[in-house]
Amino acid sequence: MATFLIKRLLQAIFVVIAITLLVSFAIRLTGDPAVTMFQGGGSMTEDDLARIRQALGVDKPFLEQYLTFLKGLVTLDLGRSFTGNAPVTGLIAQALPATLLLAFVSIAVSIVLSIPLGIKAATARGKWADQLIRILSLVGLSFPNFWLATMLVLLFSITLGLLPPSGMGGFSSYIMPAVTMGVILTATNVRLVRTSMLETLQSQYIMVARAKGLSESKVLYKHALRNCAIPLITYFGIQFGGLLGGIVVIERVFNWPGLGTLAFDAVGARDFPVLQGVITVLSLMIVGINLLVDIAYGLIDPRIRTE
Amino acid sequence: MTTFKRGMAATVMALALSGTALTAAPAFAAGKLTVSSPQDPGSWDPVDTFLVQWAAVATNIFDGLTYRGPDLKLVPGLAESWEELDEGKRIRFKLRQNVKFHNGEPFDAAAVKFTFERLLGDEGAKGPQRSNYTAIESVEIIDDFTIDMKLQAPDPVLLTKLAGYGAMIVPPKYIQEKGEDNFNTNPVGTGAFKFVSYTPKVDIKLEANPDYWAGAPKLSELEYRFISEPATAVAELQAGRVDLVIPPTIPIGMLPVIEGDANLEVVSVPGPTVDALRFNTRDGITADPRVRKALTMAVDRATIVQSLLAGQATEIASFQGELSFGYDPELKPLPFDPEGAKKLLEEAGVEPGAAVQIDVRGNDTTMNEVAQIVASYLQAVGITATIKPYETNVLLNDIIPQGKTGAMFQQKWGGWTFDYDNTAYAMYHSGERWNPYDKDETLDKLLESQRPLTDRAEREKILREIAVYAADRALEMPLYNTKAIFGISKRVKGFEPAPDNRMKFTGVTFE
Repeated sequence: MATFLIKRLLQAIFVVIAITLLVSFAIRLTGDPAVTMFQGGGSMTEDDLARIRQALGVDKPFLEQYLTFLKGLVTLDLGRSFTGNAPVTGLIAQALPATLLLAFVSIAVSIVLSIPLGIKAATARGKWADQLIRILSLVGLSFPNFWLATMLVLLFSITLGLLPPSGMGGFSSYIMPAVTMGVILTATNVRLVRTSMLETLQSQYIMVARAKGLSESKVLYKHALRNCAIPLITYFGIQFGGLLGGIVVIERVFNWPGLGTLAFDAVGARDFPVLQGVITVLSLMIVGINLLVDIAYGLIDPRIRTE
Repeated sequence: MTTFKRGMAATVMALALSGTALTAAPAFAAGKLTVSSPQDPGSWDPVDTFLVQWAAVATNIFDGLTYRGPDLKLVPGLAESWEELDEGKRIRFKLRQNVKFHNGEPFDAAAVKFTFERLLGDEGAKGPQRSNYTAIESVEIIDDFTIDMKLQAPDPVLLTKLAGYGAMIVPPKYIQEKGEDNFNTNPVGTGAFKFVSYTPKVDIKLEANPDYWAGAPKLSELEYRFISEPATAVAELQAGRVDLVIPPTIPIGMLPVIEGDANLEVVSVPGPTVDALRFNTRDGITADPRVRKALTMAVDRATIVQSLLAGQATEIASFQGELSFGYDPELKPLPFDPEGAKKLLEEAGVEPGAAVQIDVRGNDTTMNEVAQIVASYLQAVGITATIKPYETNVLLNDIIPQGKTGAMFQQKWGGWTFDYDNTAYAMYHSGERWNPYDKDETLDKLLESQRPLTDRAEREKILREIAVYAADRALEMPLYNTKAIFGISKRVKGFEPAPDNRMKFTGVTFE
């Protein structure tokens, strides 16, 4: 277990360095934050630009800037935002819970919907219930999420006046963003659960369980589901990582004060420290989720634990 | 299954907790105005930013020595009067008495001196604002309520600049005691509203300052929410959770949505922003002024303004709008004349089928549509135009300054000072960042000659000459001056839109 964890830690460090190096380098090719800051400010002299670049620390060679960033990372000091000078760590600490909460709720919505629906489709294979679920999932897959979001806002906020159109507030403010994300995740997950279930249901131990006279729900949820959970968990894990990336659009439409909004604005303003910070946190989280998925394998399948 | 259950329980718990902690207050509490602004400037310190979204909020928190309201007339602010001495190289200000900052600190000559020394000193050096005020050499205290501002050279726009942005008067003791970092997120000024709270990327909340020197505001609370997505801002407006959406948020295409809602209305006012397609005057067919004129004449700009922009813009003849100092009503745009254009092209030896590339900002939906119409007009006179959208920062940081544009490129410009010098100098003077192609000594001399003049009439005359000269050389295809568009709830009374987006909400009420 110890070697496994050390291996994972080294892997995480490598991933973070590779990704931040690439992102920091690439973003610096696309523009000068000093010029961006002067936008609409009339004529500026080279002296003015040089003064701002020095204040921001972007006058130094790239590698020096990058090493400063890495050094800061060790002490959790991610530098200061170019827009407003706020410490990046603080900005991320404010935005991270918003994104995580939304991601968890969306995943929860999708799991709660996709497992029963997927099992229903598998057991009713070829019958009308299966067809209906498969058609609905295809429809769900085809919706662009921003379109679905806009339609929900139109119906529930403007026409019916039931839900707030944007912002993070009480329970009601979570419903539309989570449903938007959840519906699209469910569409994929239903198909996955169905396929995985179909395979498992053909195993001999299911036949044995049925032959023993176990109730259908026990067969399905205790024996079959547990055995087909491994690919599902792997997939949900990967999906969570993808979700953190895809949430940018949803956060923008629903004006959700999360990491996506932070990153989006940072790209626009060429706010290097904020962008580096967000990317670091996201890559660390994806590495962390993969680790959790590996641990979850052991919990579900005792054979993996002993190996 | 148990792990699933536990996970679910945790999620439900988290939801329940967040629900109780963050119950949203309705926006329609009596006397509260909620405004949607498209951007969070990140810091409320006057020296830190050029963002108009900073000024939209800060004009309610801070005051300058002078004040310029929606009518764009310069009136006394924290200075009751001023006089120019030493041929414009010294300005003496008489300060307003019995004014206090929101923290109780008195406003006096020392605060003014502190403000400008900070702006021109180390703290100001970290931000972009300082470059606007470099004409100021020093501030001397004559007595508690009189100061002399000594200038290195006369600056005719200085009194206007003192009405906003970097020149907002800040409290010396508060900043010295609590530090610069604290001031960024906890601003204190002398303005009509006091700062209450700020949540980055979410909102800033203000409350009325009952002791405001120009009279207490009628509203009790003022909140600005940062909403960048136009559709979201309009949905919030329709849902009644936002009472006013300030520009630049609402695109022209979304106007029918607001106009179709019985509770809302659209208010617009000519703004500072002008759009032009500038020419590469150095290379290719557009190096010939006849071709530049022909291309301009080939495009029916009046129709673009009326149909595509729904009248939310006015046609321009030079790179400035009607509110700009230096605007000349006598100067008329080149007429729409495709036949004349064809003749000019023939004269210049341009073969039919010649190609031009138009570079535009990719995220500017209006301009992308306009560029397509321009391209079809050009097609009618035998010029094939291709449109190349760039990410805005790439276009501004790289393509234009490096002179890598196509034959035509979009330039959007507008300074809050509404002074043509701001635009003309940056666009036409040799060696300026926004002028990668053109070198013209006559134009350089004209531009330099007006800068030190404090005689307004004389300076206006030269600025008009510059506009005529630039139009004569057809340095750009002038398109239009867009209006600043506000979406507003009909329950808001007494609202006056400001061309520069800086609205002091003292007279506004909410029913």
